[in-house]
Parts: sequence; C-alpha cells; structure tokens
Amino acid sequence: MSASSETRASGRSLRALSDDLAAAVERAAASVVAIHARPRIPASGIYWRDGIIVATSHTIRKEQDIAVTLPNGSRGAAQLVGRDGGTDLAILRLDGTPAKGAATIADRAGSEALRVGSLVLAVGRPGADVTTSLGVISAVGAKWRTWSGGEIDQLVRLDLAVYDGFSGGALVDADGRVLGVNCSALARGTPLTIPNATVERVMEALLTRGHVARAYLGVAMQPVRLTRAIAEQLALGENARGVLVVMVESDSPADRAGVLVGDIIVAASGQAIAEPQDVAELLGSEQVGSTLDLTVVRGGERRDVTVTVGERATSGDVRQRRRP
Amino acid sequence: MSAAAALAVLPSSIGNTVAAELEALAQALRRVTVRVHAGDGRVDAVGAGVLWPSDGEPLVLTNAHVVPPRRGDTPRIQNAAGHTVASRVIARNRDADLALLSLVDAPNDFGVAATLGRARDLRVGEIVVALGHPLGVDGALSVGVVHAVPTEDDDWLRADIRLAPGNSGGPLATLDGAVIGVNAMIVRGLGIAVSSQVARQFVHAALSCRL
Repeated sequence: MSASSETRASGRSLRALSDDLAAAVERAAASVVAIHARPRIPASGIYWRDGIIVATSHTIRKEQDIAVTLPNGSRGAAQLVGRDGGTDLAILRLDGTPAKGAATIADRAGSEALRVGSLVLAVGRPGADVTTSLGVISAVGAKWRTWSGGEIDQLVRLDLAVYDGFSGGALVDADGRVLGVNCSALARGTPLTIPNATVERVMEALLTRGHVARAYLGVAMQPVRLTRAIAEQLALGENARGVLVVMVESDSPADRAGVLVGDIIVAASGQAIAEPQDVAELLGSEQVGSTLDLTVVRGGERRDVTVTVGERATSGDVRQRRRP
Repeated sequence: MSAAAALAVLPSSIGNTVAAELEALAQALRRVTVRVHAGDGRVDAVGAGVLWPSDGEPLVLTNAHVVPPRRGDTPRIQNAAGHTVASRVIARNRDADLALLSLVDAPNDFGVAATLGRARDLRVGEIVVALGHPLGVDGALSVGVVHAVPTEDDDWLRADIRLAPGNSGGPLATLDGAVIGVNAMIVRGLGIAVSSQVARQFVHAALSCRL
C-alpha cells in the first residue's frame, strides 16, 4: 500500500469508534453528579430518579451539609436518605427540584447488556468536570454476598484503570447506557460494578424503610466433623459434617426457639450444613419474619428446631478507608 | 488495563482495519517525533521531542526535565531516519515542564513539523495516541482515551493511556495526527500532558524574546 492511500484509509473506523465513545460519555455525563461529602476530592453519584441520587456509602463521610454539583455545573444541597454497608450503596435526596436540564435521569440497560468482553467506560465526576477510563467487563458471575453481608445480584468485574471519582460513578456501555454503579471498596480495591437490579432493590428498601433489613439468628458457629458412631447412628453418611453452636445471644431468635450452646446444626430448610457460610446463604433479607427449620444433633440425638428469623438492629458499614 | 487492550477485543474484521489505521498514524507521528539524548558521556538519558512548526531553523519541543540544566544544555537529536544532529536549549520553563531546542546544521529531513490541534476542543472519551520511546523502545505507539480536558483553571491534559519513562516530551495526538499535548508525567497510572495551548504560548514567548 502506498503512503498516500494509507493516509486516506487512516482514522475511518477508529474515528467512528472514538466518536461513539465520546458520545457515550456525554450521554452518561448528563446523569453523573459530584458529591461533596468527604475531604479533598469529591465522589461521584448517579441521578437515578426524580430528585434521587445513588452513590457509594464509603465515599460519603459526613451525613449533613452534603453538597452536590449537577451536570450543568449548578450546585445544590442533598440529604442522606440512607445507606447500606452490606452493598456499599447510599441514597441521597436533592433539596428542591433541579432546574430543567440540570440533571437527566440515567438511561439504564438491562442485565443482558452485562457481557464479558464488552467495551465499557467508567464515567465519574470528581469535581466540576466529568472523567472517564476505558476497559472491558472481565467477568460476569452469579449472585454473591459481600464480606459485609450484602447481597449483589450479579458479580461484575472490570478490567480498567481506577482513578479519582470511580466509586459512585457509572459503568456505561458503548451506547452510553448505565450498567450499574462502580465501586472499588467491595473487593480489596479491584474494580467492580453493582448492577442496576441491586441498586433498585436497595434503593426501594432505603426509601421505604430507611435501611436494608438483615436477617438475624443470634448464634455463633464453627464447623465440626461428626464422629463416625454418631453419623452412623443418625444415618448421616460417612463424612458427616455440621456447625457447632458456640454462642447463643440471650433473647435472640435462636434463644427464643430453644437453640442451645453445643447443638450441632446438620441441616437447615432441608439442606445439609457444613460451614457457617451455608447458614448465612439461607438468610437473605427477604427471610426476615419467616421460619427456618433447623435439624440439630443434641446429646447424640436428632432434633428439629424451628427459628423465626429476626432482623439485625444495626448494619455495619464498609470500612471507612479512603478509596478512589 | 490500558485502553489499547480494550480495543484489542474488537472482532478481527474491524481489528485488521483498526491495526492498519493505527500503523499509518504511527508512521505519520514517527516523522515528527525525535529522540532527545541529554548526556554528558557518563549518563545518557533518552526522552522524546516533537518537531515544532518554525519559520526559521528546525525547532524541537520537549519536557524541561528531559534536558536538565548543564547536563542537558546541548542535547543530541535523532530523527526516525536515524540522523543525529546537535542542538541547544533556547528556552526552558520548569513549571510548565517545557524546553525549546534549536537544531544546529540540521539536514533537510528535519524540516518536517507536527500539525497542531486544540486540546480544549477534545471530548472526554475520545481516542488519543502517544508516540515515544518508552523504556528505550524506539517509536512505540500507545492508545488510550481522553480522561479530562484542560480548562481555564487546570490546563493539563489527562489521558487514560499507558505511558512509561521515555515517553516524556513526546506527542499526544488525535486520530487525525494533530498534536494536542506533550506527554510529561504519569500520576497513579494517568498520563498527564502539557496541552497544545500552553505549548504554543511557551514557544511564542520563547521566540518573541529572541529578536
């Protein structure tokens, strides 16, 4: 190919992609705000519904006098409606109605848009202006539970550079549609996105109740292996395992149901239990108020105990460590 | 990851076209990018430089930190064709991290100059490229996107792009090959360039006081 034809060919498909990426950022930028609720660099948030902003909890370091910079550059005040340490999400409500065109409600994509390998942009606003980084979705997985107990509908891992303003900002596809809220505090600093379904669910709970219900039994457990004699006697199989109750909080749901220290939980709701995590898996927020049928081994005998799942009074926040 | 790796996921049909386009862009930028050797014989630091539009003798714009005082007062300049000429620093601004070099007895192939663009007209998310000599690799191209556009208050241009020592002083350019910045720093992975506006003003000021 001659030099001149090379020059003519130059930039056509790349230019089209470049224009698409810039247009996607501009489209999303109309919904991405800056939240001034921590020292120095502001964090990002997304205008999700009329007057409602979604942000990450770990970037909101004060609960009063929160200022918000809207996409058109105007500044307003906002109130913290609630936060959920489990999913690291926080909901804010703007004081008053923003001027027409000051902020646009985020255009969201369905979960089918979360595909491994698709080009994505992280759009944030760590100040007056919007910023971005480009990458791909590196993994999409099943529902998972964060280390602080929150339920996230899908695991969405990103392969892109994390800069100031990442957390609370939007993950955006090549059409500028929002795929979720970015967060760097849920998995040791590696970039993740909290999908739209989780944001909707947590927002609903925070707007109606002010908090996300967390199921509670009131026991501390550790995994144990049952002796062969007991396993045979109770027909539990060769390598029977369970969790030993090592502590029961007084007046807790477990206490009221008659769970005792020394009980070995071998099944719950008909499922075999081998680790404390197996019990935790059965305790979603929707379980609050419902019953959980435990099968325990006590004094070498099998017993059934029915616990009415309670609600934890306080919800722990993710560690208040500075993350971008 | 770098944006370049993100672009690598494009399907092969488009991928081949993109590769050809980037190759042509790299060729065009190599013609206006030089190697700047600032050494005293014992230390030989390599940076990059941009052949800058000039009415008189050829000029090279680079970072001030590439040509430090004394050791870097008379750097040797090498172009893509491998020709080396002597130069001398005619202006230096450490705050803007810019230095202007005048080439001495340069052959004709130093007569080309970069096309300049306007950094403030960039769009966030737009694809940009950098050419330089990262870690000594000659004429290497990096691809990324504009992270933040320079403003009145903050005239640095930020790009989500993979740079390394050796990119210093080299061009950050649009897909049209227009130079919109001079790569100067890497801050927590972010490439930071002196915007073309600042560079233009610096060169203008440097030349107007040489009457």
